[in-house]
Amino acid sequence: MLKYFVMTCEALLTAAILTGACMGYASAHYRKTGKPIVLIGALLGVLGAGVMAFLKNATKLIDTSLWNMRNFIAAAIILVLFFVASALRRPLKTAGEYIPPCLLALLPALVIFYALPDVLAYPYVILLTEKSVLSTNFLLKTIGIILGICMCLLVVVAVYHGMRRMRNPFGFVFLTLLLLANTARQVTAVLRIMLTKRMIASNHTLFAIAKFSSNHENWFTFAAILIALVIPVILLIQNAKITETYHNPAEHRKLRKKQRMARTWSGVIMACMVFSILNLTGIKAYANREIELSPVEDSLIEDGNVVVTFEQVEDGHLHRFAYTSDDGVKIRFIVIKKPNSSAYGIGLDACDICGETGYYEKDGQVVCNLCDVVMNINTIGFKGGCNPIVIPYNISNGKIYVPIDGLLEYEKEFK
Amino acid sequence: MKKKMIGIALIAAMALSVTACGNTNNESSTTAEAPETTAADTTAAADSETEAEKTEAEVKTDALAPGDDDAAGFTEYPIFEDEEVGFLNVSAVYFQPVPMSGGNENTEDFNIHLEADVSALENNLGFGVGDWVPYMTVDYKIIASSGDTAAEGSFMVMSASDGPHYGANVKLPDADTYSIEFTFHSPEENGYLLHTDAETGPGGSFEEYFKDGNLKVTYEGWDYVPQEW
Repeated sequence: MLKYFVMTCEALLTAAILTGACMGYASAHYRKTGKPIVLIGALLGVLGAGVMAFLKNATKLIDTSLWNMRNFIAAAIILVLFFVASALRRPLKTAGEYIPPCLLALLPALVIFYALPDVLAYPYVILLTEKSVLSTNFLLKTIGIILGICMCLLVVVAVYHGMRRMRNPFGFVFLTLLLLANTARQVTAVLRIMLTKRMIASNHTLFAIAKFSSNHENWFTFAAILIALVIPVILLIQNAKITETYHNPAEHRKLRKKQRMARTWSGVIMACMVFSILNLTGIKAYANREIELSPVEDSLIEDGNVVVTFEQVEDGHLHRFAYTSDDGVKIRFIVIKKPNSSAYGIGLDACDICGETGYYEKDGQVVCNLCDVVMNINTIGFKGGCNPIVIPYNISNGKIYVPIDGLLEYEKEFK
Repeated sequence: MKKKMIGIALIAAMALSVTACGNTNNESSTTAEAPETTAADTTAAADSETEAEKTEAEVKTDALAPGDDDAAGFTEYPIFEDEEVGFLNVSAVYFQPVPMSGGNENTEDFNIHLEADVSALENNLGFGVGDWVPYMTVDYKIIASSGDTAAEGSFMVMSASDGPHYGANVKLPDADTYSIEFTFHSPEENGYLLHTDAETGPGGSFEEYFKDGNLKVTYEGWDYVPQEW
């Protein structure tokens, strides 16, 4: 659940901040037309994302990289047009009240259209492994996605309220900074797509830029968070005391309420952004932490065999044993009693595909530690797929004998 | 007025760039020169080229299964093409992680599906030139520019719409210039037999090709950047 919560927030956070900022700016500076137009833009983005999610997962029609590239180039053009139209607002007269917000509305639409399809497709990806919408894992992961979406909606609302209360020139400055940070990310993404698709010839400098931007892509998200974090600071300064003149107690109360609301939303933005930083650092690291394998259990060495007694493994759980070679390499193997059977699944604690990553037991199932593939316990001991590597063994007198020679053949699997 | 002129110039430049991209996209494949490649066989007396050479590699949309006419196919990204080692012609491509049968449906923890396309060269083992070579264990190793191993394992054997191949979903989240190494074990290790009589046998043996050990192809200088699929 936590992993999907983090993944959802990571995927949508920049889009959420930008959408809130565009809506707040449009609402404050184009009072009659701004808010509904940007809202419609955002909703069109959501609608488009739904269609894209379907096409990406149900058909073979979509080349995601190409669509992203088109999206980013369109966004860059619209950004330039928005700045031009904003500068020409007065000469354009009535059209000046509609054209800039319409252009501004396209930016959240495009950023949502880019970010949301993957999130909408998460349930489909989860179902590839979970198989049933009625499984507990599917339910928990879906709850994580929903909570992530709720978190991002809160960010949209908070940034919207913060931006619409921001006095000039700060509103325009913050909007510009956010849009430029997003455009910088999109420009580097276009470069990466063009290099990968060999639309442009690669050279050392271009690849160095692509490599750096790819390996530090979260910097752009953190840049957006930091810019958004300054909004409440400015708002608190602007609303530290009432500077407007008032003529009666009613007007004073109104100004005080406005001041309180600005402070409240400042707090909400600050809380959201601080939580987002924690979410994308500590919580993300926790959610993706490696599962610690259960410890190696004691076993006997007899006549060139590692010996495991039935009593040690008859509980039906996964048991891990090891033989340490002369070079100090621990060659691990697993033993599990098969369900409704007196047979034992015995294999190396490694597979041909994922190497020495090992297996762990979860909810009565054996799972590969690297690729999360759930093993069919009845096929452990057979060759193929992500199954444990087959090792020789004998069973007699209530004991499992695993020849040390057989284990040593796989010493190189364990480093 | 000046601002307006600058704005118009910017828009024109952007529009031109979009048009240029559009033209490239309209073609199903784009040709570009791959970086200099080194194919070396370090463990076997293979006839792999040891000198750096230029190879032409294409980002191409793969052939579709017969009757699948409503789809655009999938795009393969080449790593190297047509390296020759022993009786094998080897190409490496990658594309999006794919769900596979047999409990290998998970794709979320992987970045690419790495594929070794292996076909037979002229040989006396009974394989037709260009035939896929079955029954091999193929190990892969991806080494980062730091010298650390970024990923390694053995390929699984599978079929896609374009036929059988050796492949695996691989976790490779970092952009880097990688070296990639494929090691080919003799089909005989997995129980593949040859007729040995003069009348029906192909005339050769696997020992001829594997007498010095496994066959190995190493490619250096794979500039890789993760993609959004």
